[in-house]
Amino acid sequence: MPRLLRRRNLTRLFAVGLALVMVSSCAVRTDQIARDPNTVRMAVNNWVGFEASAEVLAYILREEMDYEVQLVRVDEQPSWQALDQGVLDVIPENWGHEDLFELYGPEGNGTVVDGGPNGNEGVIGWYVPAYLAEEHPEITTLEGLKENTDLFRTAQTGDSGEFLAGAPGFVSQDQGMINAFDLDLEIVYAGSEASQITEVRRRYAEEEPVLFYFYDPQWFQEEVDLVKVDFPDYYEGCDADPEYVDCDYPVYELNKIFRAGFVENDDHAYRFLDNWQWTNSDQNAVAQMIADEQMPPSEAAEIWVNENRDVWEEWLPEGYEDRQKG
Amino acid sequence: MATVTEPAGATSTGTGSPKGSGGLLRNTWVQALAVVAVLVAGYWLTRWAGGPSWAGSFPTGIGESFMAWLDGIYAWIVANRNDSPLFLYFFNYVSVGLGSAVVLINQFLTFLTWAGVTVLGVLAAWRIAGWRVALVVLATFAVFALTGLWNESMTTLSLIITAVFIALLFGVPLGILAGRSEGFYRGVRPVLDFMQIMPAFAYLLPFVLLFGIGNPAAAVVTAVYALPPVVRITALGIREVNKGAVEATTSLGSTPWQILTKVQLPMAKRTILLGVNQTIMLAVSMVVIASVIGAGGLGDAIFQALTKINVGQAFQAGLAIVMLAIAMDRVTGAVGHGAHTPDIPEKYRMPLLGGGLALVILVVALARLADLGGWPRDWSVELDKPVNALNDSVEAAIGPASAALGTWTQTWVLGPLNGLLTGSPWWLVVLAAAALGMVFAGWRAALVSGISFLAIGLLGVWDNAMDTLSQVLVATVVTIALGVLIGVLMSRSDVFAAILRPVLDFMQTLPPFVYLIPAVALLGLGPVPALAAAVIFALPAVIRLVNDGIRGVPKGTLEAALSQGSTGWQLLTKVELPMARGSLLLAVNQGIILVLSMVVMGALVGAGALGNDVVLGLAQNELGLGLASGLAIVFLGLFLDRVTQGRRAPRA
Repeated sequence: MPRLLRRRNLTRLFAVGLALVMVSSCAVRTDQIARDPNTVRMAVNNWVGFEASAEVLAYILREEMDYEVQLVRVDEQPSWQALDQGVLDVIPENWGHEDLFELYGPEGNGTVVDGGPNGNEGVIGWYVPAYLAEEHPEITTLEGLKENTDLFRTAQTGDSGEFLAGAPGFVSQDQGMINAFDLDLEIVYAGSEASQITEVRRRYAEEEPVLFYFYDPQWFQEEVDLVKVDFPDYYEGCDADPEYVDCDYPVYELNKIFRAGFVENDDHAYRFLDNWQWTNSDQNAVAQMIADEQMPPSEAAEIWVNENRDVWEEWLPEGYEDRQKG
Repeated sequence: MATVTEPAGATSTGTGSPKGSGGLLRNTWVQALAVVAVLVAGYWLTRWAGGPSWAGSFPTGIGESFMAWLDGIYAWIVANRNDSPLFLYFFNYVSVGLGSAVVLINQFLTFLTWAGVTVLGVLAAWRIAGWRVALVVLATFAVFALTGLWNESMTTLSLIITAVFIALLFGVPLGILAGRSEGFYRGVRPVLDFMQIMPAFAYLLPFVLLFGIGNPAAAVVTAVYALPPVVRITALGIREVNKGAVEATTSLGSTPWQILTKVQLPMAKRTILLGVNQTIMLAVSMVVIASVIGAGGLGDAIFQALTKINVGQAFQAGLAIVMLAIAMDRVTGAVGHGAHTPDIPEKYRMPLLGGGLALVILVVALARLADLGGWPRDWSVELDKPVNALNDSVEAAIGPASAALGTWTQTWVLGPLNGLLTGSPWWLVVLAAAALGMVFAGWRAALVSGISFLAIGLLGVWDNAMDTLSQVLVATVVTIALGVLIGVLMSRSDVFAAILRPVLDFMQTLPPFVYLIPAVALLGLGPVPALAAAVIFALPAVIRLVNDGIRGVPKGTLEAALSQGSTGWQLLTKVELPMARGSLLLAVNQGIILVLSMVVMGALVGAGALGNDVVLGLAQNELGLGLASGLAIVFLGLFLDRVTQGRRAPRA
């Protein structure tokens, strides 16, 4: 008896569910999520320089142009995915990622647009502390490093030297370089940039050797004295095979990536972000306030904005004042 | 007189005989030691033979093709997200709906202004749970405001409301079905087991894929993560309803629907609310982790602080989460117990409700007139500077010593254990796992253990899994040792227990992210700080269980032993610990599962191995690698869970 009843209930439930689907049967695309046209949604990847750019842009958009700004903290790759899905509008600082551009750009499914350079230049490389380079001057060359990998041995890596990798989300070709240059090194994953910096800071204080993945612009570069290891320059295609990379990282001309729909809307926020360009030293000025002086990011942005009116006034699009009145 | 204590001990421990008296237990340990000895011998033989290919790690061929297959699925989803009917008519509906729900709830909370939210929350808490809890809720709002994290807290709150709502929407009906049908219950139980062992981080990847970045995926993943307790406990509640009552109503000719709504649900109400409470607690912990996939709020605030290595700021946000968790726990707990509810006569209830609503509306209207929004950031108290100063001075004081301890642990404990597990022939390790299952928990567990290890090999992550296993084993041993020690001390002194309890509450709800970075600064990067964090995370549950177990030993038994002139040590080792054996076993089991749930978190500070691949899979969109590693963690969990559950009946 109960079994029968339950089955009848189930059938009824199914019928109601089906009816609901029929009634509401219009296709939903992910970019139809509830969105306020006055809100700009910006990716913030997990490094302070990026945050500095995003906070300054957000401050101007909020205070001068009367927009709401939502800063969404995600890793590099997922933020592309988010543009594709329509939950973000812009990545203000992008490092390379040609493969993703192929996937989502005009050649792929056409959901993102390259917004051109943002004026910052990015360098990735292998770094050692200056005290180590002084003690072993040859270590910043490929040959010298090859002979001295035993300097970097730790309890964890045993007979090989340790190479301290960056956060898992970052662009990397370290294993390919280790293979191609035949270095006796083992990659240790710091797991996050915060723990990598903490570890380097600890060794720096003890003047212990350390060899690690790092980049510039980065606020930590101001706190410690680092020397970049020289590798043969990047050339077109040397990083094609990730298992064998016989060159250094390229110098990245950092660019902006927009959601295609955001560009099509062509409102003041888009034009402003499209106009935006600034230098590495602009970015570092803000990043340092955030990281070294432990200032809240929005406050650091405010200070920079107040002091550099002439720089950012050029980014404001024509007619933005009308918006504010409306 | 001696015979008085003996039988009491034997009957209350139920399974197995107490330590020292029987041959069975000693036998178990001897057998286990023999298994380990064989493994070690195998390892040395392999080394002596120069590591022939038939005695290496598991071949990775099958695993690699499995990962490639998953990556293929990923590519398909990216290409078809806005074309395939599966997405257009299902997943996208869900994600758009949920994403919008979170936004709407958040806007509603903003509309109420901080004054309105506070009045509403405190009044509701008072009505449901009495004035003490209302004070806790008030304190919680005060922490939100004074840490300058009001808006972040409201975002987190909206996410939790959405996620808990979904979890209950699906969880309660599933629980009712499981409570009424034995077959359904049996079918659903392994799924729930699986869900509870799967590490929180490993959930993120597939859900990001299906529901996108940000709030929608965060809401779904939080709901799914928080689902199991409400299903389990609702089923339990329905089953426990007095059979007599059900039969009486059946014989009166009630329909099953009437039986459910008039008898079973009302009688199981309190138990079901306990499940709701557990679900909310899990949701609070998951919401923090979901900030990795772009959910905003307090979790995001912690993450932001950590990228700047600002431990003080992370602590502030962590404190807000702890308060949120405690407040939600107290409110729902009070609903479950029904205690402390203000005693209001029937006729005043409606006017009171009306008055309360009117008050809230008045406050909101006034606040909106005064143009209040979120709590102004200027009115906040800065906790971060003193916390940072404290952190720095601790680092300076014990830094070198702790770093040496870290290196020692790596060289003498973790390194050799890892070498043993990865250096032995894979089939010997599989056999050893099965044998340990057999020794501790019978042939069923042996089968599960063997299959788990085979599955890990087939997933293609053998070496990493062995690395992770060695870390988990070491962390568990430390956790159990410390947990038993502190638990025994806690059971000895009521004062100590009273002091320790809030500390344990705090440790259990503080998001582990907060103490990961100090751990690196003290112990140096690598598996050791990850172990330390795992121990901190798992310890409270173990301490509580040990304490409860020992305190549960009947007073009469203790007095009998004392009257015979037992010393304190004898009392502990011969009477109390053996009699609390059930609790101790449960403590070991819980300790392992909690340590395991920290594997992925530990990868954030360099633990490497499986956890790192889960994080890597998430950050680099490598679905295959991430998911295979996540599954391997589940299989490790299955093995450890089955072995430590012993011969007891499976969990309810």
